[in-house]
Amino acid sequence: MIKLIEKIEGEATLDFNFKDEKIEFVDIKFNSTRGIENILKGKNALDALVINPRVCGICGHAHLIATVKALESCYDDLKISKKAEIIRELTLNFELIHNHFKWFYLTLFPLFGFKQEVLKASYASQIMGKAIATFGGQYPHTSYAIVGGVVCEVTSMDIVKINSYIDETIKFFERNVIDVDVEKFILCDNVEMALKSKGDLAKILQIIYEKEWVELGKSYDRFIVFGKNSYFKSGKSHKTRISKNLPYEYVKEEQNKSSFAKNVSFKDKYYEVGPLSRAMLKRIPLIKDAHRRYGDSILSRILARVCEIAQLLNHSKSLLKELDLSEASYIEPQIDISKVSASGVGAVEAARGSLIHKVSLEEGIIKNYEIITPTQWNLAGGSRENQGISQKAMVGLKDEKIAELVFKTFDVCSVCTTH
Amino acid sequence: MKKLKVLWLSALSCNGNTHAFFNYPNLEYFLENFEFIYHPVIDSEYSLEDIVSKEIQCDILLVEGSVSKEFTRADVPILKIIKKYAKKVRKIVSVGTCASYGGIFKNGAYKDVTGLFFDEEKEIDILQEFRYKAINISGCPVHPDILVNTLFAIKQELKLKLDNLLRPKEYYAYSIHNGCTRNEYFEYKVDNHKFGELEGCMFYEHGCQAPFTHGSCNKILWNEVNSKTRAGLPCMGCTEPSFPRENLFSTKKNMGIPQELPLGVNKRTYLTLAGITKAFTIERLQKKLIDD
Repeated sequence: MIKLIEKIEGEATLDFNFKDEKIEFVDIKFNSTRGIENILKGKNALDALVINPRVCGICGHAHLIATVKALESCYDDLKISKKAEIIRELTLNFELIHNHFKWFYLTLFPLFGFKQEVLKASYASQIMGKAIATFGGQYPHTSYAIVGGVVCEVTSMDIVKINSYIDETIKFFERNVIDVDVEKFILCDNVEMALKSKGDLAKILQIIYEKEWVELGKSYDRFIVFGKNSYFKSGKSHKTRISKNLPYEYVKEEQNKSSFAKNVSFKDKYYEVGPLSRAMLKRIPLIKDAHRRYGDSILSRILARVCEIAQLLNHSKSLLKELDLSEASYIEPQIDISKVSASGVGAVEAARGSLIHKVSLEEGIIKNYEIITPTQWNLAGGSRENQGISQKAMVGLKDEKIAELVFKTFDVCSVCTTH
Repeated sequence: MKKLKVLWLSALSCNGNTHAFFNYPNLEYFLENFEFIYHPVIDSEYSLEDIVSKEIQCDILLVEGSVSKEFTRADVPILKIIKKYAKKVRKIVSVGTCASYGGIFKNGAYKDVTGLFFDEEKEIDILQEFRYKAINISGCPVHPDILVNTLFAIKQELKLKLDNLLRPKEYYAYSIHNGCTRNEYFEYKVDNHKFGELEGCMFYEHGCQAPFTHGSCNKILWNEVNSKTRAGLPCMGCTEPSFPRENLFSTKKNMGIPQELPLGVNKRTYLTLAGITKAFTIERLQKKLIDD
């Protein structure tokens, strides 16, 4: 049974193999690629800052930040001001929040039998777009983060404006999604409490309980997070065992025979990336409670993504307070990039999970570029013996519609997966 | 109110135009006037499989992304789908620079990647018979105002004036330079721009293409709040068939003079003008605007 899955920033096909009326194996196929890595070869290093946001229309900013980090890691002692670090982190947070709202109202809502809430999705995501544009000039597709900092200068009026964008988004989130104060929601450590509200999140959770889907969509219970900043913690966890050491040498990308998406693994094992992984590493009380009861099920996965909106809004407010406007936004590198021959890696947390960019430069020209996107981790098309994260999560289901729901809780992005 | 039926097809794209469209502030009003028979993100009555296998009534065809003979959607060649609907619709709108001129994916994974009616600046004939109903709204991504207002203009049957690259003049007769907050620095040739500052023009050193790029970024602003050049990022010329050029953060010069001059300015005139304006020393342009 082959099913075309669409409206996932492109399309994919899922080939369901049944045995005894249950899904035994799902072959995941992506049918096109644009070849961004090849486009980059031979280009001037800084041009990657313009090309790479175009990997993806919905999370292009994460690709910009991963690019700038990869290029900066080619230097031995590059200086970045704290101000530039904070500004980059803020715009990345805003993009994550923007993505989560779109996923929640455009993708998830219809899967539970509700009408797609286009206007709610666009209302919240637009405010976050304005906040990014205030720093970055426009959204999507800005290249405002450059080697040495950011191109913008920020005034106190900008801070006033961005603060009001965050507050407006918090208000929208409280009124529509959670129906409780953000601070209270962040402190909540009990799934039942989240169930009781009148918000849109509770509507979905209630259906999950009614239909007895609480254990639905379990995979290996293995999580990994590469991006690290003032909020996210990197590391991997298997069930509750956490380890912090993640050498990039163990990250392996492999061609997939039947699809344009390459598989990616760590020490030959597939790991889940994304909000649930981040919450596991951060030990977020509400998600810990969900995971303790229901493991890495769709319930934990959905809750983690929505919960992250609250956390990031809250954290962005405190980051904004830390900005010291007297610092420089940009510190010119001592060595011009045209003289740099080196290799570098940059990792960030994008909405859907860890995003890794690797670059090698010869006198400022890109010799090789490798992009490993979050959905390559989650949607890896493994073999029957060693299935990928989302493949494993769909095994044993009887109905391909429910399998599609499980698949989409990973917030699939086709353009990123294939790039 | 009768809604116009719109088909939004994604060809070889990053979906950036889809998401730029979501930033249109009055989406509710838009959706009262238009109905997507298919859209890459918004739910629609028909699925992609319906679109490729049936012939559904439609008024406007929107294509995002560049095209190639090899590229398919739902296993059907994209050009075949485009031709099927091109016959029926009132207008064909190429949304973004990829669909207009080929754009960024020209050197990627597919052969013969072009726009619908142009390969960069060169007119091509794969859809020649439908050229009379074509409109290009370029940009990487397209500005949502330009997209939505073009669709309303089609709905109201306004006669749009197009330039020779089929772009509506009302948006593309301007240069990006028009409305830039750094214009005084350009006028007086104050080229002391440093990244991370409010001051200085980026045309002389940092590759800013605003003076010779057609578009309205600084007139209609992005996300209603800003533009790249206002923020301090050079214009990358993303509305032009030449996008993306190479070496985007530096200005190519011949004997100290930028190779590309502002639209319609010849070199000798430019040199004379530069000589005069450089003679001014305007104190307020030599120091910080706000802090001191």
